[in-house]
Formats: sequence, structure tokens, C-alpha cells
Amino acid sequence: MTHECRKLEETFLHAYVDGEFSPEENAEVKAHLAECAMCAHAVRLHQSYKAAMLRANATAPHLFYDDVRERLHHESDHGRWARAFQKPSAIAVAAACIGAALWFLAGGLSHPLFFSGHSLIEDGVALHARALPLDYPSNDPRSAQQWLEGKLDFGVHLPRFAQGPRLQGVRLSSVHQRQAAVVTYSLPQADGRRVSLLIVDDPEPHLPGASRRIADREVWLSRARGFNIASWRNDEIVYSLISDLDEQDVLALVQSAEMR
Amino acid sequence: MLDFKHTDRTRREFESLSLEHLDALYSAGLRLTKNERDAEDLVQDTFLRAFRFFDKFERGTNMKAWLFKILTNTFINKYRRRVKERTVVEGAAREAGNERFVTREPTESSADPEQYFFDKLLSDDVIRSIDQLPIDFRLVVILADLQEFSYKEIAEILDCPVGTVMSRLYRGRKLLQKNLLEYAVASGVVHGKQVMELSAVVEEEEAVELLEFKRRA
Repeated sequence: MTHECRKLEETFLHAYVDGEFSPEENAEVKAHLAECAMCAHAVRLHQSYKAAMLRANATAPHLFYDDVRERLHHESDHGRWARAFQKPSAIAVAAACIGAALWFLAGGLSHPLFFSGHSLIEDGVALHARALPLDYPSNDPRSAQQWLEGKLDFGVHLPRFAQGPRLQGVRLSSVHQRQAAVVTYSLPQADGRRVSLLIVDDPEPHLPGASRRIADREVWLSRARGFNIASWRNDEIVYSLISDLDEQDVLALVQSAEMR
Repeated sequence: MLDFKHTDRTRREFESLSLEHLDALYSAGLRLTKNERDAEDLVQDTFLRAFRFFDKFERGTNMKAWLFKILTNTFINKYRRRVKERTVVEGAAREAGNERFVTREPTESSADPEQYFFDKLLSDDVIRSIDQLPIDFRLVVILADLQEFSYKEIAEILDCPVGTVMSRLYRGRKLLQKNLLEYAVASGVVHGKQVMELSAVVEEEEAVELLEFKRRA
């Protein structure tokens, strides 16, 4: 009864169990296993070893998954500027931007060819895109409004939204030497996407874009730099909702905005 | 260029290809570092490095193997220095190399696959046995037996010849099974007959020693 199968090496059988062989080779080994109890035993033993090893695998904690994603988001936010400026072409673009900005500041804006009554809103879009830090972080519209009242030389009404946008806070700014407030919201139903409300005392009678009547308000819809903007006037003050939401969602937001 | 949408798209593509391997990387990282905190750090580092070098990844090739190459390199460069295991490897390699497959005689108890020694083991004992392996063997065993990479993939991950993978794997498994047998005997999971059966897996003399140890206990 005691005899050793000299035909197949142990490492050979391991390689078979490890799935290292071609289908033809597998068939040959199987044929041998059918008539050799010794090798069949060695194979089953190795299979049970492999199964025990697989059972010892761990799974990552649930929160760790979020940690990794968060670090990647952070990395891509942080790295994009660093990467962008590694390229000579990007430096050229940046230099051109700085040049254009200087030209702007030197009075280029008042050039009749380039004058636009609504570059205010475009500046608002730029502010939105840059996501600057908040001067007054708050989730409470009432306290944010109180805070603003002491800072601006015009009265504002922070809209109340029936549902959706969650107030993050307020930043004071100035666009074209006019005081402005940028109110930041996040949208829980859209992965926390940011929505900015630019509030500015704009004497320009015409707002940009096409007008529509929504919830008893004249609302002007326009696009700039890939963002959708909905503007309306309330007590002579212009409110512009800026986001990358699509038009339907923007309209729904405006509809739910309650100005008191 | 200042193309923000592009980097967002790149990140999303990276996430869609890499995050499905998070559990596998964590599991391997845990057996390499032997503790949860270091495993999380190691895997975080791995993901960040992989993301930074994502443009070097050839689309359509083996993402899991690529990530594991980064994981093992990161571990070897950064974490391994903390543990001085190098010296142990030489002695252990010699020891494991001397073991031979003494007998392959099937025993009665093994006629039923359910009765195999390894089927009864506690995962804790398996984990302790893996953790005891010197790092060179542990790496290969983790890649082959926990992650089921092919010999060729392991050779690419570790940047060594396939022959080296096979010999390390053979020795590593022998050492691990010897550790396992010791734990199993100590905790009473196996009985005399099965110890004899396992003498086929480890070394005959060892098994006899273990039997005596058990009789005394």
C-alpha cells in the first residue's frame, strides 16, 4: 500500500492547483489524478490549504473607502495648479492673463468696444469659480443676514429656499468698485455641488440674457464660462444665482427661492 | 493647459479603475505591516502614488497588478525599514529548503475532503502563521495565496525571475504550514492521526516532536 508516486513532483501539483497550466496540460494532470490516489490526495490537500488562505483575507473598514476618495479629491484639487504650471504653455497663458488683468485695471474696461454693462455678472462667475474662503461661515440664513446688514451699504434679503440649497456662509467682495456679497450654498441632492448667490447694487437697468417670468418675478437667464446664471431684481438690488446646474434645476431653485 | 475638467475626468477614471481593488490592497497591506494603522497609511500612499503616476499606466493592462507593484515598492522603501527582518530570512530559507515531501500516503481521515486539516483552521491561526513568515516569503505567499496572482504576475510585481517566485513560494508555504501545524496542535484543533497526515506537508521529525509535545500536554 505504501508507495510513492514518482511521476509528478509536488511543486508541479501545486502549480496545477495554482492554475498555472494550459487547458491541455490540465487535462493530462486530471487523467493522472483519476488513477493516482497519492497525487489526488496531494492536490486536495493543497486545495484545502488555498481555501484556508483565502478565508484569511481582510476587508477594508467602510470609512477607509471614504478616506481614500477624499484624499484623491484633495490631491487632484491641489495638484491641478502645480501640474498646470509645470507646462510652459500654461505659464504663457497665465502671463497673458496677468497682462490682460493689468490692461483691465489700467482702464481697458472703459474702452467702448469692450464695454459690457454686465461684466458685473461675469465677475460674479469668476468669484464663484474660484471658491474663495468665507468671511462668515454659517448655516443659519438669519444670522448671515444680520451679519451682512452691518457690512453693506444696501439692504439685502437672503432668500429662503424651500428645500435643497444649504447655506455655507458669506463672503464680502467688490465687483467694479461696487460692494457685493457672495453667498455660498451647497446642494445635498447634487453631491454637495456649490451654488453662489451674487448680491450687488447694480444700477444698470438691463440684466443679461433672456427674461422669463417665474414665481411672480422677472428672471433673466444667461450663461458665462460654462455656468448658468439666473438673475432677478429685488428692491433695486440684483441677485444672481450662479452654478453649473442645468437650466431646469436652476429654474426650480429660483422658483423655490422666497424673498422676504 | 489649465484644463480643470480634464483632471476631474482623470480622477474619475482613476477611481473607477482602482477603487475596486481597495479591499485586496488593504488585506495585503495588513499582512505586510501587521497592523491596521500602518496598513491604512500604506494603502493611502499607494493610491496617491498610483494617481500621480496614472499617466504611466497603460490603459487596458492589469490594473490590480500595477497597483500591487506600487504597494510592494512603497512597502519595501518606506515601511520595511522599520522592521529588521533581513537577517532572519537567510536562516529560515535554509531551514525550509531542507524539508522534503516525505510521504504522500493518504490516510483514512482524508478520504472526505471536509476532513482536511486546513479546513478546520481558524483564520486567526492562519493570520498568525502568515505574519511569522520572513518578509521575502510573506510577500510571495500573500500575492499567490491571498491575492491569487499568477507566478508570472508576481515575478513582474516583485521584479524577479519566475523561478525565484516558485522557490520562494514553495519554501514560504512549507514554513507557513509548519507554523500552522504548531498552532493547531497547541490549540487542539488537530489530533494525532492528522498530525501524521500533515507530516507529509511539513517534516516527519517535526511531526513526531509535535505528537510527543501533545502527549505531554
